[in-house]
Amino acid sequence: MKYAFFLGCLIPARELSYEISIRKVLPALGVELVDMKEANCCAPFSIQSLDYASWLALAARNLCIAEEMGLDILTLCNDCYESLLMVNTVLKQNPEVKDQVNEVLSEVGKEFRGKTEVKHLVDVLHDDLGVRKVKDAVKEPFTKLKVGTQPGCHLAKPKRLHLGVEWGFGALDELVEATGAETIEYDNKEMCCGGPLRGIDDELARPLVRQKLIGLKNAGVDCVVTLCPFCFLQFDLGQLEVKRHFKEEYNLPVLHFAELLRMAMGIKLEDWEIKSHRIPLDSILKGRL
Amino acid sequence: MLLEKTAILVIGGGIAGIQASLDLANRGFNVYLVEKSPSIGGRMAQLDKTFPTMDCSICILAPKMIDCSHHPNVHLLTYSEVKKVKGSVGKFLVTVLKKPRYVDEAKCTGCGICTQHCPVEVPNEFDEGHGMRKAIYIPFPQAVPRIMTVDEDNCLKCGLCEKMCEAEAVDLDQQPEEVELNVGAIIVAIGFDLFDPSGILTYGYGRYKNVITALELERLLSASGPTGGHLIRPSDGKIPRKIAFVQCIGSRDKRFGNTYCSSICCKYSVKDAVLIKEHTPDAEVCIFYIDLRAFGRGFQEFINRAKTEYGIRFIRSSPGEITEDPMTKNPELWYEDTVAATIQNLAFDLVVLCPALVPRTDAKDLAKVLGIEVDNYGFFKASDDMINPVDTTVPGIFACGYCLGPKTGDIPDSIMQGSATAARVSEVMMER
Amino acid sequence: MRGKKLSEPDLKFMHELANTPRGGGILSCIQCGRCSSSCPIARITNEHNPRRLMEMAILGFRSDILLHKLPWYCLSCFTCLDRCPQGGDVGEVMFAIRNLATMEGNVPEGVLTQARSLMDTGCVVNPVRTIVMERELRGLAKIAPPTEDVQKILRKTAFNKKIRHE
Repeated sequence: MKYAFFLGCLIPARELSYEISIRKVLPALGVELVDMKEANCCAPFSIQSLDYASWLALAARNLCIAEEMGLDILTLCNDCYESLLMVNTVLKQNPEVKDQVNEVLSEVGKEFRGKTEVKHLVDVLHDDLGVRKVKDAVKEPFTKLKVGTQPGCHLAKPKRLHLGVEWGFGALDELVEATGAETIEYDNKEMCCGGPLRGIDDELARPLVRQKLIGLKNAGVDCVVTLCPFCFLQFDLGQLEVKRHFKEEYNLPVLHFAELLRMAMGIKLEDWEIKSHRIPLDSILKGRL
Repeated sequence: MLLEKTAILVIGGGIAGIQASLDLANRGFNVYLVEKSPSIGGRMAQLDKTFPTMDCSICILAPKMIDCSHHPNVHLLTYSEVKKVKGSVGKFLVTVLKKPRYVDEAKCTGCGICTQHCPVEVPNEFDEGHGMRKAIYIPFPQAVPRIMTVDEDNCLKCGLCEKMCEAEAVDLDQQPEEVELNVGAIIVAIGFDLFDPSGILTYGYGRYKNVITALELERLLSASGPTGGHLIRPSDGKIPRKIAFVQCIGSRDKRFGNTYCSSICCKYSVKDAVLIKEHTPDAEVCIFYIDLRAFGRGFQEFINRAKTEYGIRFIRSSPGEITEDPMTKNPELWYEDTVAATIQNLAFDLVVLCPALVPRTDAKDLAKVLGIEVDNYGFFKASDDMINPVDTTVPGIFACGYCLGPKTGDIPDSIMQGSATAARVSEVMMER
Repeated sequence: MRGKKLSEPDLKFMHELANTPRGGGILSCIQCGRCSSSCPIARITNEHNPRRLMEMAILGFRSDILLHKLPWYCLSCFTCLDRCPQGGDVGEVMFAIRNLATMEGNVPEGVLTQARSLMDTGCVVNPVRTIVMERELRGLAKIAPPTEDVQKILRKTAFNKKIRHE
């Protein structure tokens, strides 16, 4: 199992622990990652909101790179996933649009042929590899950890983009449970965390993550597990912002799913990685639930 | 020339099939009325009251059911299924499978002693799962024929019923029986099923006890139902004082393929809302709708009365989601009042979903057996919607009632169509 | 928006929107309100109401939509889109509205910052110096976005003109 590895912008710029965890975990599971040289920005929500043609071309350039590598793309970030998957779908289904995009891509010597598939980490772990194999790789399972998962909106919405895959929001829960942790239902689990408006309209983004934190606290979880780096920021750094603005403390540590899996596979987090989390991880690491 | 006592097959013992059977029988035809369940009656027997007269539904239906059982020209084949159809108009050869009731129809008096002693209790399908019945049972008090049926899937074969039966009518060795019928024409009237709302995850049906379908409500309101007609809510038996109706559950919804309007839900929800207010005058009843389809005589007036006389609130909104308060089990609705443009969350005691009316799950198979076409929704296709609306695509086979699709309105329409098919059959038979 | 005076309606706007990429769903909207009943932002502020935005688009209040903050409240969480019974594709129409708003010069500062970063460096988010050093320390590859290629693409699509960043 070999994939063209699309990191996106945010993870390598701000969440190194996520990147390192993936680079340790996936090869150990038999998944080979080949870095996409010269991958460009996927064109997330903000860019898509500005211009359609630019979005298509930017995303398509990445798809071309993967095509040239002869591999399917593996993404981690929900926003990247959504963007690349949507563009891949639109171009495959609309030859006229594809021609227009290829005209733009010719400026940079690329041509979209529709020969690659876009996969999310969850696709690969849940479907391609299988929960069973993930479970088998777990050497130090959690025994008491209660997790509130944040699958993130762009993982499985809009539904029609994801027809034909059985997994949905539930897939992350299954993977978390494969590590031995228990997933807990909480209010507004499917609601957006506010990530897309982060930095654009925090007055709106903040109350959303606060709503989720309230639900998580009430449900009695030990930590939050995210997939998308935007969700991570909202929950981790965002908790400090919520504290500042609403004067409320939740003390809910936030882990990337990759980190959770990594720990369960017996690969410890290093000090600097632990410190990169704004909400301390002590409560989970001490008792090593 | 009318053939002497030509036989006609009617498949489906609901109101449409009953009407067609009686019309034909009165005209001198022999009618075989085949019904899959143990009793004729269909959906109308499940209803509490009918719109617009607010008459007791079973009170209007039961005399017709009795007529069917007593009419010398009507031959009931209940607990039976049509398995094979050969031939053509004028000379169909139909194979009907009589499923074993494990009760001798000739001997059973319907006294019910067996039921009292049966040790097995299972949810009653007739009550939409709310009441219980025994493994040897009559589906509802006014059942026709009044003959017990043993549900072989749940029967323990303990033999208690056999022991207690004074008429010695229980026969646990009964075998299925195939009956061959020669008929000149066939009328299909198998009716509808309800769309299963558990397919819409955001409404919580199946997860939240106090979110029910309108048919379940009918059973809860019905005097012969599981609660004796007392409207109590499933989670705790309390009387609900705040009730919401939600329209268009699965209807007019491209996500589920039922893009049509089911045509009777606006009608019956207002009827049910008024019924609830008559049961519990201080109840708050809200109807959440997208459009209020108030066609036909008396219906707009009925809505106006519902608003002014009964104080029923009509809110133009299709709710986004239903959640549940874990302590009280009250369902909570998120909705935008699209007229006032306010978005809010409102808690109710009970939420009634009005699901789409869809073809029965066995409709496709029956269509294959008969060789008739179905439309893209799975309803039986008329040979021409405009000019031959009750003829199917096979000459000699006719259809009436909701199995023809949502162009049917309500009970009077089904009765009309039943009579229409009877008239068509007479016409076609006279040509022979 | 209650009580505010609205502009003169542009009766062609609905079709302009329907012919904008991602905007086709506007023609299917029956104003049932399921989207607004589901929208997380609509529950926080009554400035944002997806159904009302669609209504305004249908009725042709072009400038009220395109020149104000209205289209930029949306998260693109697609909850509305998944629940719409008629294929109104509200979440997608929102993108079309925002594309048109951009052409009118109506873009929030936060979005422009990301766009400028994209144009100048090829990425929306770039690592700060400490992260660059951390990456080197931990043996992670240097981040080197294909700035030139991105700029070529964006020049061809006239992106810089659209966001008024020459």
